[in-house]
Amino acid sequence: MSMTTRRRLIASLLTGGAVIAAAPLFAGQASAAEAGGTPQRDPADNEALNSSLDRESRMVATYRKAIVGLTGNDLTAMTLILDHHVAYAQALTGYLAVDVVNPSSAPLASPTGSIAGMARQLATLEDQTATIHTDTIGAIKGLDAATLLASIVTVETRHAAALELIAGASPIAAIGN
Amino acid sequence: MLRSSGALAATTAVLAACSSTKPSVARIGESPTTVKLEDLAVTDVVLLRTAMSMETMAAAMLSDSAVTALASKDTAPVIAAFAADHTTHLEDLRVLISARNGEAYSETNAKLMQAYGQNALDLVASGKLPEDALALTLAVETLIASTYQYFVSLTAEPAVRADLVRLGGRSSRRAAVAAQLINGGTGGFAPANDKDGVALVATLPSAFGSLSTVQVKLGPPNEVGTRTTVLMDTPSLNSLIY
Repeated sequence: MSMTTRRRLIASLLTGGAVIAAAPLFAGQASAAEAGGTPQRDPADNEALNSSLDRESRMVATYRKAIVGLTGNDLTAMTLILDHHVAYAQALTGYLAVDVVNPSSAPLASPTGSIAGMARQLATLEDQTATIHTDTIGAIKGLDAATLLASIVTVETRHAAALELIAGASPIAAIGN
Repeated sequence: MLRSSGALAATTAVLAACSSTKPSVARIGESPTTVKLEDLAVTDVVLLRTAMSMETMAAAMLSDSAVTALASKDTAPVIAAFAADHTTHLEDLRVLISARNGEAYSETNAKLMQAYGQNALDLVASGKLPEDALALTLAVETLIASTYQYFVSLTAEPAVRADLVRLGGRSSRRAAVAAQLINGGTGGFAPANDKDGVALVATLPSAFGSLSTVQVKLGPPNEVGTRTTVLMDTPSLNSLIY
């Protein structure tokens, strides 16, 4: 037996021991999702996820139209939200990979006029988008996609409330009460 | 051959020692016996009960006299509305729990109140700085939104995941409003620093909802002018309500 082989044997004994020792630590900490056999991915979710991707792609197109003519802080703020939607579309595209069905690039609206007027239209679209994703979370089985959509909804609801305030809503109205 | 046999014998001896049920080292006096922890499953009902404890904690913190005494006449009704919303969410959670034959939980999350909730309130009370009322409000709403987002990854039933996201979305909206009350207008949307390089409150600090620790500076400045940073984490295995 060469030195390398002996080292490998001892290393594998140690590694095996560590794995066996650590197993009970995790055994009692399974979540409902793990214990219930929830799939990380489910091909049956792809249709709903493609709808979410389509919505995000159209939100990107809408904000691209909205930022034309804006300046200063208004331009920075709307470009920031545009970038968020680009990130959501990219994340969903990456998740779906070869199962992506060509998303639409048609804008959902053509916001023009004052920043307050535009913000009002965009806030409504953000609310609708968050609702679409939330309904999708309730319909799909895969945990990874649900987790991704949850992280998107958390920020899109922030978009909606912030835009409501810019549109002139009171703080109480902006929280949706 | 001799070397190989020696190594094999040594390894066997080590493994044999590990497998022994008797203590391999002599002890003087009595040693405590080990009590095995009970195996507790993180079910959807456990997550919903924990959500109730977090909503109760949020309502208690936002309506605490340390906070309400410092809120301005403009922000006081907003913070009160936030606290009332958290109380309203308890009923939504109660319905979800009873539909799954669970038992509602009406207390605050004692472990997290002890870990950071009470400390935050004590700092606000001792600092008496009006800006702390909104800073704590923003932190609490961000924490609750993160909690719901995190729970989605642990939940088995898709319908419950959607309900958790709906509740989290309401906290997210409140967080955005609190951030705008601190640093308003479109100039407050993106992360930025003031002229001294200090980070300003941003309404939209990241593209995706964050699950990292919520940090908030509260209380009186110390001798070098800095304030205590309170770290608020979402519930974990030792603070779930089983």
